[in-house]
Amino acid sequence: MPRAVAVGLPEPAPQISASGECMITLPGEVDEYRVRVGCDVVAIEDVQDSLAAFGDRYLRKVFTASEINDCQGPNRVHGLAARFAAKEAVIKAFAEPDMPFPLREIEVTRDGPLPLLRLSGAVAERAQHQGWLSSSLSLSHADCHAMAVILVVCSQAESE
Amino acid sequence: MQDQIRDVLAAHGRMAVDPSEVDSQADLYELGLTSTASVNVMLALEEAFGIEFPDEVLKKSTFASVHNIEQVIEGLVKSSA
Repeated sequence: MPRAVAVGLPEPAPQISASGECMITLPGEVDEYRVRVGCDVVAIEDVQDSLAAFGDRYLRKVFTASEINDCQGPNRVHGLAARFAAKEAVIKAFAEPDMPFPLREIEVTRDGPLPLLRLSGAVAERAQHQGWLSSSLSLSHADCHAMAVILVVCSQAESE
Repeated sequence: MQDQIRDVLAAHGRMAVDPSEVDSQADLYELGLTSTASVNVMLALEEAFGIEFPDEVLKKSTFASVHNIEQVIEGLVKSSA
């Protein structure tokens, strides 16, 4: 039975460890484009508690006016929680823990049914520096939790 | 100041340990502080100290320990005086 391999990608060269085991180190690149992934999960109850404790101050600190407007109706808190997860997923994709991340500079917008990522301010500048070219964002939620996954394709090298 | 910070952590940090017994240098994320809880901690600290955390200090390390929180708040209090 042939092994499934990604089309167009070179197979990673196996190495033999000191104990004789076969090891492969998978590259973090696809066709020389660097790929970054971030994910996060948020408890719906936590966002409910934040809203109950801090109300509008919480909303204004974390979400843009557009995001707040997009989250209406019975699933409002679930939508907010998914957007919070998206912001944290993006922060993880940057992989720079000492960088400031104003949460409103990471915004989830919509293009029909698809969520899109919009960056602004210092976060947008940092994305340009890291060579971010495009992204794909996925949001989901259940009764208890919301989650987000972001995949980012970057240029071959960071800008100086 | 550290007592006030620990009170805020106890009320909003949702940590698995009692913040009053945590070493000031201990890693709060390893002790259960989550990203959602750290936002609540930030908002409660703003109320408690009459300050506003500017964008440039909204980084993970700011809330990584009682000591780090104290350092940032001291700087903000001084700059607003």
